[in-house]
Order: sequence, then structure tokens, then C-alpha cells
Amino acid sequence: MSDFFEEYPGYPNYEQMATHDEAHGKTTRKKLWMVFWIMLIVTLFELFIGFKYSEELGELNKEYLFIFLTVAKAFFIVFVFMHLGDEKKALKYVIIAPYTLFIFYLAFMAITEGVYSYHIKDIIATVIGHQ
Amino acid sequence: MSNQAAALPLRKDWEGGVSPFGVSYGKLFMWFFLVSDALTFSSLLCAYGFMRHKYTGQWAHPNEVFHHFPFIHKELPLAYVGFMTFDLIMSSVTMVLAVEAGHRKNQRQVLMWLFFTIIGGLIFVGSQCWEWFNFITGQGATAVYRDYIMNGHHIINPHFVGANLVVNSYTVLPTFGDFFFCITGFHGFHVFSGVIINIVMFIMVANGVMKKRGHYEMIEKAGLYWHFVDLVWVFVFTFFYLL
Repeated sequence: MSDFFEEYPGYPNYEQMATHDEAHGKTTRKKLWMVFWIMLIVTLFELFIGFKYSEELGELNKEYLFIFLTVAKAFFIVFVFMHLGDEKKALKYVIIAPYTLFIFYLAFMAITEGVYSYHIKDIIATVIGHQ
Repeated sequence: MSNQAAALPLRKDWEGGVSPFGVSYGKLFMWFFLVSDALTFSSLLCAYGFMRHKYTGQWAHPNEVFHHFPFIHKELPLAYVGFMTFDLIMSSVTMVLAVEAGHRKNQRQVLMWLFFTIIGGLIFVGSQCWEWFNFITGQGATAVYRDYIMNGHHIINPHFVGANLVVNSYTVLPTFGDFFFCITGFHGFHVFSGVIINIVMFIMVANGVMKKRGHYEMIEKAGLYWHFVDLVWVFVFTFFYLL
């Protein structure tokens, strides 16, 4: 294995790269627990909103709030727990960019078509009913 | 870093001989696999969004379907799902702590945190079984719709309580049950395979395979998969139970 790394010095050597000492580990652990508390509070807040304010808040506002909080949680999971924040810029873009582009497109299509189908359903029923 | 750059003056990131992403082959392809898997889940959730918007007003209210809690005979909407979410986030934290212990090459701590992760995963799979049981047998059905549409005919079945792929007593739409089984089932299968992977990792670490290898990168790869499972649940939780 050592011959391999001598021949290809640019190849990532995990043994040297991802090892850290006790002091560094302490700060990392602190950060991880911090993120855990943030995610727990966000989840409890979501449940509280779902419990209490399902009527008062208005359906559309509630949807936007939930989606925003969910994406925030997803950001924490991907960038802190999965360590994507510590990776190279190239890898970050390769993982995030194509996925985000495709999903915005797909979600937009699905929701638009869904709303359209909702309206066309009654029209079709009316047309068939009149025959 | 500067020494390495000086030793290789002509090699840029994309000219070969270097890893342009700075990660090993296995980890890179674990990421690519996770992206493709995320696309599968996103497609399912987008299809769910389509149906949800198509049947606006007819869809079942999650508050009225999922309000049971073990050993408590009271209506507690979303409480148990909240517990499941907490459990999965907690096991995600123990997994990342196992990865961190692996960076310090502390075998005992890696084993401990992996053990907690496996327990958390098993609790989640068990909870989901319980959730399915209640959904199928209709223990938690308050708003009971006993008529349904099949092959275009309106059928009334006064004896049916619960859910299957054709009919459910929570709403007139069979689609509700179908999506519940499909999405939570697919996710539960991922959790199950994640638990299996973690058990394999546990055995490998206990046998000293990682110690002989000199690093704990396999833990990090298994951790990526486990965090992905948590990530998917965050979305399923929002779109299926909260909205």
C-alpha cells in the first residue's frame, strides 16, 4: 500500500488525512452536539406548529414554513453530519448542483400538473355527466 | 500541503495522477450512490405531491390517522412519529460520534457508539412495524370512511376498518394507503439494510480489521449511508405527517 502512495502522491491517503488528535476531537464533538440540539429544537417546533396552529396559520404559510425548516435540517445533516462542508469545492458542487436543479424542475412539474389535474377532474366529470 | 504542491509543480487537479475531489474511490462512489438514491426518493415524494394536489380536500388528515401511542390509550396526534424522528436523529448523532472516534483511532469508543447506533436503528424499525400494524388494522381510525370507489363503482363496505392497497378506512382514496406503504416501506427497508451494514461494521471493528488496516474509513462510508437514511426520514416526516 505504501508503494502505491509513493507512486501517486496526489491520491488521498486516508490514514494521514482524516486522523486528528484529542484536542481537535473535542471541538468537533462540541460542534456535533450543538447541531443535534438545533435539530431537536427545530423538530419540536415543527411538531408544536403541527399541533397547535394548523388552522390559525393558514395552509399555505404552514407549508412554506415546514418546507423551509425541513431544508434547514437537511442542510445541517448533509454539511455537518455527512462532512460535505469539509470536502473540496469541486465535490460539493458535483453532489449538490445536479440534484438541486433536477429536483426543482421535478417538484415544479409535479405540483403544476397536480393542480391542473385537480381542476380538470371536475370538468371531465361534468362533460361525462352530460353525455 | 505546500510541500506536496512543490513536489508536483506541473500536475493540476484534472490532469491525472491526483484525485480531483480529494476523496478516495469508495467514498466518492458512496456519494454518487446516495445522490441516485436521493433522486429515487425525491421522485416518490414528488409523485406524492402530485396526488396530494390532485385530490385537494379529499386527502386524509395525518392528525386523525396517526395519533396512537404505545401503552397510552389517549389520542396524541404525531407524538409517536415525533419520538421516531428524535430516535433517528439521535442515532445519526451517535453514528457521527463513531466516525469521530474512528478519526482518533479509538477502537473502544467506535464500538460503543456503533452499538448505540444499531440500537437506535432497531428501535426505529420496530416503531415502524408498530405504526404499520396500527395503520393496517385500523386501531387508530377516528374519522372512518367506509365507502370507496373501485373500478369506477361506488362500493359501501360497513365492515371494513383499517387499510390495504385497495381500500382504507381513513379516506375514500386508495392512493393514500398506497403511498404510505410505498414510501415508508421503501424508507424502512433502507433503515433495515443500514442496521445490517452497521452490524457488519461492528463485527469488523470488534475483530480488529480496521486496526490492522490502519484507518476507520469504512465507518465513515457506512456513516454516510446512515445519515442519508436520517435525511430521507426528515423529508418523509414533513411531507407525510406534518403537511
